[in-house]
Parts: sequence; structure tokens; C-alpha cells
Amino acid sequence: MTALATPVAASAPQAGPTRRHLRWLLRLHRPALYAWGALVAVLVLVLLALWGPLLDSSAAAWRDYNASCAPGSEHCRYDQNAIIRYRDVYTYTTFTMNALPFLVAAWSGAALVGRELENGTARLAWTLGLSPTRWLAVKLTVPAVLIAAGTSLLVLLHRLAWEASQGRVDTAKSWYDDPTLHANGPTAVALALAGLAAGALAGLLIRRTLPALLLGLGLAFGLYLLAGLALPHLWPTVSNVTGLDTGYAYEGIEVDSGLVTSSGAHIDDPGCGTTTTDGCAELYTKLDATGFYVDYHPESHYWPLQLTTTALLLAVTVAVTAAAFVLLRRSTATSHGRREAAV
Amino acid sequence: MTDTAMAATALGKRFGRRWGLPRSGEAGTGGGWALRDCTFRLPAGRVCAVVGPNGAGKSTLLALAAGLLAPSEGRVTVLGTDPASARARVGYVAQDKPLYPQLTVAETLLVGADLNPARWNAEAAERIVSAGDLNPKARIRTLSGGQRTRVALALALAKQPELLLLDEPMADLDPLARHELMGTLMSQAAQHGTTIVMSSHVVAELEDSCDHLLLVGGGRVRLAGEIDDLLAAHARVSALSEAADLEPHTVVESRVTGRQLTALLRPAGRLPDDWRPTRPSLEELVLAYLRNPQAAPLTPATSEESAV
Repeated sequence: MTALATPVAASAPQAGPTRRHLRWLLRLHRPALYAWGALVAVLVLVLLALWGPLLDSSAAAWRDYNASCAPGSEHCRYDQNAIIRYRDVYTYTTFTMNALPFLVAAWSGAALVGRELENGTARLAWTLGLSPTRWLAVKLTVPAVLIAAGTSLLVLLHRLAWEASQGRVDTAKSWYDDPTLHANGPTAVALALAGLAAGALAGLLIRRTLPALLLGLGLAFGLYLLAGLALPHLWPTVSNVTGLDTGYAYEGIEVDSGLVTSSGAHIDDPGCGTTTTDGCAELYTKLDATGFYVDYHPESHYWPLQLTTTALLLAVTVAVTAAAFVLLRRSTATSHGRREAAV
Repeated sequence: MTDTAMAATALGKRFGRRWGLPRSGEAGTGGGWALRDCTFRLPAGRVCAVVGPNGAGKSTLLALAAGLLAPSEGRVTVLGTDPASARARVGYVAQDKPLYPQLTVAETLLVGADLNPARWNAEAAERIVSAGDLNPKARIRTLSGGQRTRVALALALAKQPELLLLDEPMADLDPLARHELMGTLMSQAAQHGTTIVMSSHVVAELEDSCDHLLLVGGGRVRLAGEIDDLLAAHARVSALSEAADLEPHTVVESRVTGRQLTALLRPAGRLPDDWRPTRPSLEELVLAYLRNPQAAPLTPATSEESAV
């Protein structure tokens, strides 16, 4: 064995292992990299248009509408197309940004991990010199950086475009509109990263391209629902009590609502309406109700809600990633002496 | 440095029914074991044939040695350490020759160089590939099975491994390419002292080039040792059935045709001359063991186990 020839120096210029592994990953997933770059670029351009010309023309149209289209006015003239164009582009762009985590999860489950395990090229990499741990670490780290960078940029632009529309476009979405909420803040970035981890776990679990794609999508959808359900409960609400004749009054995300009795207890709202409706006053007297209450999040809770939900999603992402590594290390041989560096 | 290229002690691998994951705590039910109670020792510098029918556990054994699977029980060591630590010094070519289909031949070799900067021999890789008239710009997905095998072998050999694990390496090759690549492998083994372990279910394919045998059947090692020793330890005999007493010998297989008894056995002592003992061929030996799963296995390493 000592006769083993001294290794011939590699013809490629010397580079550190990190650069070589980056080169390997890039070679394999160049189309995905280009597709991601193109998608981000297109969305950036659309968001810039939403922020600039599309918003300006829509705002001008609304100004004309409000100036000339008062009830009874004879010369109602405004650019309806500008309003519709802005609304459509905003809706589709926001929808696309909400869909990014699913796109990432499907790609991660199918192309990044599942396909490699199905056709054996993961084993090729493991026997060529990448340990399984390193293989997964490289495969997750590089996309995670690119996904985080891309979605952060998009979220920032979306937020700026949305902010600029407030007060200028009469039908601009409120901050608590669901798709807008998930395109306007860091939860979008956390969801995309969670999608990456969920896809990788799905790929390692199923080891087949198409089923892993579906499971990745399912897991990402579960996380999306979880985020939506958890978000209102991650920060204390504000309570607002109003008279029986006024009805509910709040602007934001409602968590709970109903009637307040004279003792201050909260009871269910029978759904009658305000006391101006016939018979409701009698009903409320019978129920001993003195007013309506609503527990909700006002706009001042925007950042606490975004940040706590982001933290929750990142914690889930870390857990899912850890599960993926444990799964991989359990099913392949790992060295006993030392723990391989994770990254 | 160790003179043992590969050794297994009570090695076993059980596959879960779904998802190919090992399930612990279910041992002993018999089902799901791809490999069981596998003990052997392969000295360094040998060319070892792993022989057995399809589904015998050959691929599982090689994947365990390559560190691609974690054993369910027992352990396997390669080059004196655990398979994960030996990754850089072990070459492996899987049965289906997986390669990245979207890359070209040249890019595939660059991947090999990137993942093995310390040991990569680009010249050797290019030599093997160009001997097959392969266009370096051809995409892997356009290659024939034999061409893929050539690229996969080039990747494994350019890594300059001390131990080369090949799972059914020649199955896709035409006779000419088979001869040429086998020659390349053998010269590699001779030049660098590389230990080569290759599996096949075609015994004739390996008889000329291998000096060590590992016969796997039903997930267990049935025969292990130097081929010459194994052949010398067995005899084919034929005698009159009423006169022959096979009792003291270990009978692998016996058959009675009329009054004539023919048998393949491991003599416990000198055989009577009128039994006309002859040395079996490797194929006869392998087939006799495969046809008779109840025959006692012969694995010299079993007794040396404590010394490993």
C-alpha cells in the first residue's frame, strides 16, 4: 500500500474545499439558480412599477374620481383602467410572493434532495468525497442564503410599494389583509426558509422525486397554515368595548369578540346587531349585556406580530433541519471518532 | 497501515418495509434482513469476487463497506477504520452507475476533481474515458449503459483508492470493453496494490481475474477465502453408492444416479482412491453451495475473528 502513487496535483487551480463544493453545487443546479435569479428580477421590476408609475396613475385616477364623480355629478371622468391595472398587478404579485415558500419546498423536495436519492447520485457524491453530512449542509446553506437574500429584497420592496399606496389608492389593501401581511414582512422570508427545510426533510424521508415534491408542498402548506393560525396569538391583544348602539369598532386583526355583561363577563354574541335593530334591545336586556367587546391587534402590533411569528417559524425550520440531519446520519455511516463540522 | 482491506464481524443489515430505513428493535423475525451474521476478513492487495444470486445481499454488503448504509448490527471496518472515516481512500461504483445526467462527461470529471482535490488523478480519468471514444462534451443522459460504466469507473479510479468496491461493474459492457476495462482494473491493482472487491452473479466473469472469493447466499456468507485454498479444500468424488461412506466428510452436495454416487465434499481426511477425487472448478463449487443452502459454510475468517 505504501507503493500508492503520490497524488497527481489536480489540474484545476487550487481552491479551498468550500469553493470547490460551491462549484459542485452550482454545476448541478445552475438552471435552478438562473430560474431563481430571473424570478426575483421579474418580481423586483414589477414591484418597482407598483411603487412608481402604476401607483402614480392609479392615485391620479382616484383623485379624478373623488373630484369629479360625486353623486349627481355629470362629468365623472377618471382612468378606470389605471385603477384596475394597479389592483390586478398588486394582487398577482402579492399572491406570487405568498406562493414562494411552496415553490421553494417543491424544488427542495424534488430536485435538491429527492431526485438525488432516487437516482443514486447522492451516493455518487458520498463516495466521491463529500460526506453525507457535508453534502446536505452544502445543499441547504447555499440555497438558504440565496432564498433569504431574494425574499428579503422582495419583501422590502413590497413593503415600500404598499406603504406608498396608503392614502393614495382608495382600494389599497390594509396591513392585516392576509396575503399582504405575508408579503410585507419577515414572515415571508422565514416561510421560504421553512419551505426549503421541509422539502429537504420530505426528500430524505421518501427518497423519491415526485412523492417528495408532494410531501414538501404539504409540509410547507402546513407551516403556512400554522403561521397564519399562530400569528394572532403570539402577542397580547388590545380590548375595545363599545356601546350596544354603536356595534363593534376596531381596525386590525380580530382575535375574539362578543357581549359584555353588567358584571364585566364576556358572553357570546347572539348576532342580533345593534340596538337600532328591532327587538335587539329587549334581547340584550334579557342577557344583561351592556356593550360589545373585541380583542384585536391594532396596527401598532404589526412588528411584534411579524417578529414573533418569524421567530416561531425559524425555530420550526431549525427543528426540521435538525430532523433531516438526524435522519441522514442514522441511515448512512458516520464516523465514530469525530463529529463532522455541520457547515 | 493494515494488512486487512476489509473485515466484517457479525454484520447485518435490515431494511424497513417502507422508505428503506432501518428499524431497530425488531430483530429476530427473519424478514427484512438483506444481510445477516456476516463475518469475514479480506487481506489487502487481493482482487476479491463477491458472488451470489440476485438479491443475495452483495450490493448491501458493498454499500455498507462504502459507508452508504449504516449497519443494523455488527460492524464492518475498511482499511483499518470505520467506513465513514475511510471515505477518501475508498472508491465505489454502484450497480446502476449513477451519474449526474445533466452534466457532460468533461463536467462529470471536473466534479470528481472538485470533490477529491487531494487524490485526484485527472490524467487517469481522461485516459479511461478517451479509450472509449467518448465525446467529452456529450451529456451523461445521452450515453449508453456501457459508456456510463466507463465514466463511473473513470471517476472511481481517478480517486486513486486503496480499496475499490465495484457492484456488478461489467454487466453493461460488450466483451471488448469488458476485456479492456478489466485489464485497466487489473493493472491498477498490480501497480498500486489496490484491493478490488467486485460483485457479480456471473462466476465465469471473475474466475480469471480474482484470487479471493466471498460467496453470499440468502444474506449470509457461505464461502470466504483464497480461491485456490477453497478449491483445494473441496473434492468431487464419484463412487458406488452402496460402498461409499460419506459420513466423516462434510458433504456439500451429493447425487445418486442408479448405483453411482457423485458428491462434492470437504474431505476430513484422505479419500479412498477408488472414489476418483478431482478438484472442482470454481463454478462447480459456487453452484453446489448455492443449490444446497443447508451445506455448512466455510469461512476461515470466522476462526480468526478475534485476531482482527
